[in-house]
Amino acid sequence: MGLIASYNLRSMIVRKGTAAMTAMGIAMVVAVFVMTMAIAQGFRGALVASGSNENAILLRKGATSETVSAVLRPQLAIIEALPQVARATDGHPLASPELVVIISLPRQSDNKPANVPLRGIGPRAFEIRNTLKFVEGRRLTPGMREINVGKQAVGRFKGLTLGSDVKFGNTAWKVVGVFTADDASFESEVWGDVELMMPAFQRGGYQSVTVKLVDPSAIDSLQAAVAADPRLDLKPQRERDYYDGQSETTGTLIRVFATFVTAILSIGAIFGAMNTMYAAVAYRTREIGTLRALGFSRLRIVAAFLAESVALAIVGGAIGCLIALPVHGLSTGAMNMTSFSELAFKFRITPGLLMGGMVFAAVMGAAGGLLPAIRAARIPVARALREI
Amino acid sequence: MKFIGLVFKSARRSKRRTLLTVISVALAVFLFATLRSVLDGFDAVSAASSSTRIVTIRSTSMIFPMPTSHAEAIRSTPGIRDVTWANWFGGIYKDPKNFFGQFAIEPESYLRMYPEVILSPEDKKAFLEDRTGCIVGDGLAKKYAWKVGDRIVIQPGIPNYGSQDYPFTIRGIYKAGSSAIDNQSMLFHWKYVDERSDVKGQVGWYVAEVANPDQAAQVAMAIDQKFANSPYETKTDTEQQFSASFASMLGNLNLLLGSVALAVVLSTLFVAGNTMAMSVRERTTEIAVMRTLGFPASTVFLLVVGEGLAVSVIGGALGALLARLVINGEFLGLAGGFIPAFGVTNWNVVVGLGLSVLIGLLAALIPATMASRLKIVDALRRVA
Repeated sequence: MGLIASYNLRSMIVRKGTAAMTAMGIAMVVAVFVMTMAIAQGFRGALVASGSNENAILLRKGATSETVSAVLRPQLAIIEALPQVARATDGHPLASPELVVIISLPRQSDNKPANVPLRGIGPRAFEIRNTLKFVEGRRLTPGMREINVGKQAVGRFKGLTLGSDVKFGNTAWKVVGVFTADDASFESEVWGDVELMMPAFQRGGYQSVTVKLVDPSAIDSLQAAVAADPRLDLKPQRERDYYDGQSETTGTLIRVFATFVTAILSIGAIFGAMNTMYAAVAYRTREIGTLRALGFSRLRIVAAFLAESVALAIVGGAIGCLIALPVHGLSTGAMNMTSFSELAFKFRITPGLLMGGMVFAAVMGAAGGLLPAIRAARIPVARALREI
Repeated sequence: MKFIGLVFKSARRSKRRTLLTVISVALAVFLFATLRSVLDGFDAVSAASSSTRIVTIRSTSMIFPMPTSHAEAIRSTPGIRDVTWANWFGGIYKDPKNFFGQFAIEPESYLRMYPEVILSPEDKKAFLEDRTGCIVGDGLAKKYAWKVGDRIVIQPGIPNYGSQDYPFTIRGIYKAGSSAIDNQSMLFHWKYVDERSDVKGQVGWYVAEVANPDQAAQVAMAIDQKFANSPYETKTDTEQQFSASFASMLGNLNLLLGSVALAVVLSTLFVAGNTMAMSVRERTTEIAVMRTLGFPASTVFLLVVGEGLAVSVIGGALGALLARLVINGEFLGLAGGFIPAFGVTNWNVVVGLGLSVLIGLLAALIPATMASRLKIVDALRRVA
């Protein structure tokens, strides 16, 4: 195989112009594939990062998201008393009653109003969401008209900088802290005291309660305990599973779009590879005849040309990945269909996605190279040798 | 002109290669026209929105309701001709995946102010008379195979509307008279919903018609001033601004689709350029013979460019035609009602064809230059 492999490799270098064009065609397709998938991954990543395996979120039975859920005030005390709920060192149960409403703020870039999620939280929320870190200022004080703002929201919307007053719900709220949360969707949110949010937005109850579990495995017994209590018409689920489900609608939409575009593009690139390989076979008819006369089997010839095409495509795939790579970490925004508000996230290119891009390139190369390789193997030896 | 035969003759030299290239260009133009039509769809919604209608929502966000008393206050604002209101219902038809717009409307005034909702007089009468009646867009009716007289049940998705199912009877199927109207929506009586809601008298947004479109901005400001410092402050915009801000929340579509389109053009350019280069290389001897016979370099150049153009434009025409036939409103409706459903327009086809001309020209440029600069002696000496 050593001889034939180096023969194919050297032939590729001889025809570098054509080879480069084919590789670039494939590179563009892989770049589009990686970039669009990076959007889908980033979107999902932002939501999944919000959920922890150690936490559980309780919503009204049948509610698919926080915005359509309702938890009554007396139910909070019942939940807090459950043995599956972890306690802080001071003995207080780690449960945060929450309320998400949507407010409209002018966007930094074009001054147009966009929906921003505003989360009312209980005093224990920061102990439950321990990925939260303050980069500026401090936590809000319960009972005060103070808010904390996610890092992404500060950059995207006007008037959310530390120390400024923001007006919503007919009162002014002071920004006292800016936090990060490992790229989670919380970074697109504004947080305030839930007990002050409820009167400001004429709400009589909470929407959800998030609790820290004594142990990640306690979720099953929590579900059983809630189901057994007739006063709780709620459904606990692991926080991570909940946020995973939230990303589905928009995530699927982006993935369908990415698949549609790359599928059509890839056909073009496959045809390009096919053209190149057919030409390669035609140019080298005599050489193929010689190889066959020397005793190389048809299968070896097919394998050799297929390998040449795949190698070409993999070079293209690598270039495509390199073209796509700079978008990694760029932040962008998209509408989250379930909460109806804007979610900021970063393009996320993972090693797995790059692998996927390379495999995709290799498949395109194989699809484009197969027919020409078969033709190469079928050339009759005598006729091939006679050709000049 | 006399060279056209020669151009096509050389394109037919390697039929398979030409065919593969034609299909590549066709697919690229198809994709380009489709993406363009989606973007146009979003633009068309804001462009076709009326400039005489203004929309009033709560200043915090449109998901918070306002009391019904705002209707009279808006009506009494100078410069206002008519007022109607509506609310988002957000219910579930059988499965949460069946997403479509459901609006509780004040039927008489709404249909009066939206003449673009085209309904036969009999259907309109039947709808107005039946409190549990509804009308649906023709796109939606087709999707779920609904017809007039069918009974459908919608499960409320927002706690305010209670937990019991809402039965409706379809009283009419409307057509959208302008792209500002979605033909994938369901409209029903606001009163019916209000009676069954836990919280009464909730209005999501008011739509008012101004007598003079030039005064829309002033009237809008006057309305907002009326409610300033009340518990229900408002924000009023023309319908045009309203839908533009809505589309912008879907993310930066222009940039995303624009960069995809650029990648489409580039990748096709590589495929087509490669084909032309191969074609010229194969004919090196022929070109040398032509030059020897006295054909000037410019003719050779034009011949190659002509071949590139012919292959690319045939592909472009095929792709544009395919897009025009396949990508219509129904096809885009498959995306679940998120994309305004209009389909590929004639203008998209023209732009797609223009694109294929560009691809053909650019792809042939380098090979044509190579061919015209050929050294005759070297080329003739070459075998094969």
